[in-house]
Amino acid sequence: MSSHYSDKFVYHEPGLQHQFDDMGQQEESVSIGMWFFLVQEIMFFGGLFTAYLVFRSKYPMAFAAGSNHLDAFWGGLNTLVLIVSSLTMALTVYYAQKGNRNMQVILIVLTMIFGATFLGVKAIEYTDKYNHGLIPVAGLNKKVKAEAGAEHSAAEKPCWEVDHNAPPVEHPNPHGEFIWTDCSLAKMALDENILTASEKNQYLVRDENNKPVIDANKFRDKVRIFFFLYFVMTGLHALHMIVGLGLMTWLLWSAFKYKYNGDYYMPVEMSGLYWHFVDIVWIFLFPLLYLLGRHFIHGG
Amino acid sequence: MSIVKYLLVFGLLVFGTIATYVAATVDMDRFFVGANTLVALFIAFTKMTFVMLFFMHVYWSKRLIWLAAVASFFWLAIMFAYTMQDYLTRGSGVFSS
Repeated sequence: MSSHYSDKFVYHEPGLQHQFDDMGQQEESVSIGMWFFLVQEIMFFGGLFTAYLVFRSKYPMAFAAGSNHLDAFWGGLNTLVLIVSSLTMALTVYYAQKGNRNMQVILIVLTMIFGATFLGVKAIEYTDKYNHGLIPVAGLNKKVKAEAGAEHSAAEKPCWEVDHNAPPVEHPNPHGEFIWTDCSLAKMALDENILTASEKNQYLVRDENNKPVIDANKFRDKVRIFFFLYFVMTGLHALHMIVGLGLMTWLLWSAFKYKYNGDYYMPVEMSGLYWHFVDIVWIFLFPLLYLLGRHFIHGG
Repeated sequence: MSIVKYLLVFGLLVFGTIATYVAATVDMDRFFVGANTLVALFIAFTKMTFVMLFFMHVYWSKRLIWLAAVASFFWLAIMFAYTMQDYLTRGSGVFSS
């Protein structure tokens, strides 16, 4: 019996891929690969955070005004939903290490339910933006019937004279979409003299007495930048959630077939890393998008 | 790590989320401009640290994993710093505003 022949029957762990010497080497290679992937994901989102940083430092009041159009309730709820899903994901890894197949299956299903809930809430929010003319591309919002005189009355009144307890005065643009005209935050900053140099350049026009006043259209252009970033950042994040749900589907199937145990659970662990990463991105998106202008409303 | 410890981390994350919301409703910008954002980011970084250390098991990982995790923020800081040192120092003239 040659040694060549007996080599074929040498024992190795069922989960070991042939290119690795042992499970330790395989686990180390797998996790470092996954972490390098996550590092480039951080840079991927980092580009958007950089754009956010640049434009928010230039137009802080436009960002605060745009942020106040978002519903912090839905944003906060989604933060909690993602944190619960992170817990169920972490427990999935825990039970995969214990080799408990039934608990794995239950927890993966729970993780998927919370992931889907997150996307459902996102859909509610996007619909709300669509209905209220907040999608930053003209022509992509809901068309409304022009109310008689609405455009006229909105044009008459200065954009900062807004009754925040009454429903917002909106009037349709030439595309037939609602546009809102609230520039009270910029007016407040102008009165307190805290506008940045860029804001003074970009929001203000001279009135008939040569006094600087806020121009609603110019201000809205900068709020639109906030909504561009809002849709791209949350959209990219939602895309990651959809990919995550795909991963979970595959994980559910293989866990259902008793694939993972204390010796071999790296696919569960790596999917978990990805899921937690998506959670971390949202941990930053929530305060940076939803809560900017909150203290202007409550704190006064 | 035991289930109780996972639940403790989870409780801390929920508390952090509520704290983020409450902090955002208080006007801290009266002390200095950007105080609200600073507090929000501090809470977010704390939450992230707990997720990374315990949910993502970095705490029990090899040094190489620690290095990858920390290096990512280092690269991010370079991107932020070099972008802002340009934008914040643009003077008057064609490139102002």
